[in-house]
Amino acid sequence: SGELYCSLLNPRNVRFESINMKNVLHWSAPEGTGNGVLYKVKYSVYGVGKWIRKTECRNINRTWCDLSSETSDHEEQYYASVRAFLNGMFSDWVETTRFNPLTDTKIDPPMVSVSSTDKSISIVLTAPEKWKRSPEEESISLLQVYPGLQYNVSVLNKKTKKRWFFSISNHTLVVPWLEPETAYCVSAQIHVTTPILDSGFSKEYCIATLKDK
Amino acid sequence: TAGNKILHFGACRVSMSMTEIRAGFTAIKANIQARDPIRSLSILSHPHSLHKVNSSDRCCMTHHLFKFYVDKVFKHCKTEDSYVNRKISSIANSFLSMKRKLGQCHEQNQCVCGQESTEKFKQILANYEGLNVTSAAMKSLGELDILLDWME
Amino acid sequence: EEALLPAPQNISILSTNMKHILTWSPVIIPGETVRYSVEFQGEYERVYANESWIPISECSLITAMVCNITEDISATVAYNLRVRADLGARRSEWGTLKGFFNRNSTSLTPPVMKVIADGYHLLVELEDVGPAFQFHVLYWKKGQERRMQQKVVKEVSSVVHLDTMEAGAEYCVKAQSYVEAINRSSSFSQTQCVRAQGDTSMWL
Repeated sequence: SGELYCSLLNPRNVRFESINMKNVLHWSAPEGTGNGVLYKVKYSVYGVGKWIRKTECRNINRTWCDLSSETSDHEEQYYASVRAFLNGMFSDWVETTRFNPLTDTKIDPPMVSVSSTDKSISIVLTAPEKWKRSPEEESISLLQVYPGLQYNVSVLNKKTKKRWFFSISNHTLVVPWLEPETAYCVSAQIHVTTPILDSGFSKEYCIATLKDK
Repeated sequence: TAGNKILHFGACRVSMSMTEIRAGFTAIKANIQARDPIRSLSILSHPHSLHKVNSSDRCCMTHHLFKFYVDKVFKHCKTEDSYVNRKISSIANSFLSMKRKLGQCHEQNQCVCGQESTEKFKQILANYEGLNVTSAAMKSLGELDILLDWME
Repeated sequence: EEALLPAPQNISILSTNMKHILTWSPVIIPGETVRYSVEFQGEYERVYANESWIPISECSLITAMVCNITEDISATVAYNLRVRADLGARRSEWGTLKGFFNRNSTSLTPPVMKVIADGYHLLVELEDVGPAFQFHVLYWKKGQERRMQQKVVKEVSSVVHLDTMEAGAEYCVKAQSYVEAINRSSSFSQTQCVRAQGDTSMWL
């Protein structure tokens, strides 16, 4: 008691950053504060409202906190909140907006693997997995989370510089009747119509068709 | 593209422009949810989650909810922001159009109400009536993505 | 008391490919610049919200006699539209569109299409006319009309692959646009035919 009470400026830009439902709370340090600021974090399930302290993010000096485990049920929505303190002073709790893991996550591009014969290339696409607590835990593909998931595939003929597009629902694509000994570069994107979610295009995977038998 | 969804409820098949509604809601979601300070209450998702409604009751629950939004919610969501009001109007008119289609299924007995959906919908109404009308309407509008996520 | 401004007349809607443009005749006051404001009312507002009207901010106090109402006509229900004129402190009565407007009456034009043969591959390029559209593309080997195949194309940002072709064979393609939200299609585009590389003997 008798502690000198004066408030610290608030953490700024408190928000969830989510990729494949790995949901990490991020924020910026209060304006004008150097090192030495510590933070604590709490979160709540929308509609339940009880704030729960995140013990692993108590008295931390970093400006992020992984809440993936606490927000893994994508049928719920969440809030999180951060407080800063320094030399006996502390800020207000600053909240995120309501976070919906299903619609507010970003999706990585699919993994692309390509093989070729003399006249065709075969493309196999793998949608990213939903974040999971540990490698031993059962994997859930984002295909299961977003049943309407489709792939847009781009195939570039490096010789003619012509690019073709394919829109497919299943995860394999064979492009026959190609030029032998020609390099083709493939990249793919995930496209979900509702909710509206698109990944970026993957990097290009190039492969050459074999010599004509 | 504007992803219409053909929602199958047994014999009842209803085409709904979900992407347009989603786009309209996404445009105002932060604004609307910021007007709802109550974290500890939900109209749609607690204590019962829509995701626990069994499939035979899905049509009736969907019909109930569209009627609920059209009859009770949207009219109490007028804001001082003209852009938000226009988006609410677009969602409301889309809901009206879909409520009509579901109503046709209901009249043709393809959208039968079971005990479970009746009970669950009563709970939703109780949640709604537990708040003053403007707070309840704004909270319900802010929970539109809960409804859309469940429908999809 | 200053004379009331006349209400805007000849209010009508030009709607093509789900783009809806409201137009009206000018209110002419010599030497003056008259401004106009537009409001809309959906069926929901008419039936459930005390017949309230909603202003379109992009078309408030404008001098043009045109307003793009596409963003606001975003449900397949009957809409009312009205326009009012303003000149300083003077203001007209509302001029209202005769009858309702429903976007399902939009006119749909056949898609602009370019068919490409690239080696043994049949490709099509379609003009992007907006997010509401997808395309039903029909293609067949010339002379085998009864074995016509269809592909639904939703992403039109580029050259879309339809199928592979038999060497030297001629293939024909036609397309129509389809709008799911109003469940209507355009008429078909002109048929275009292209020939695959190689000669037909390769297949005998």
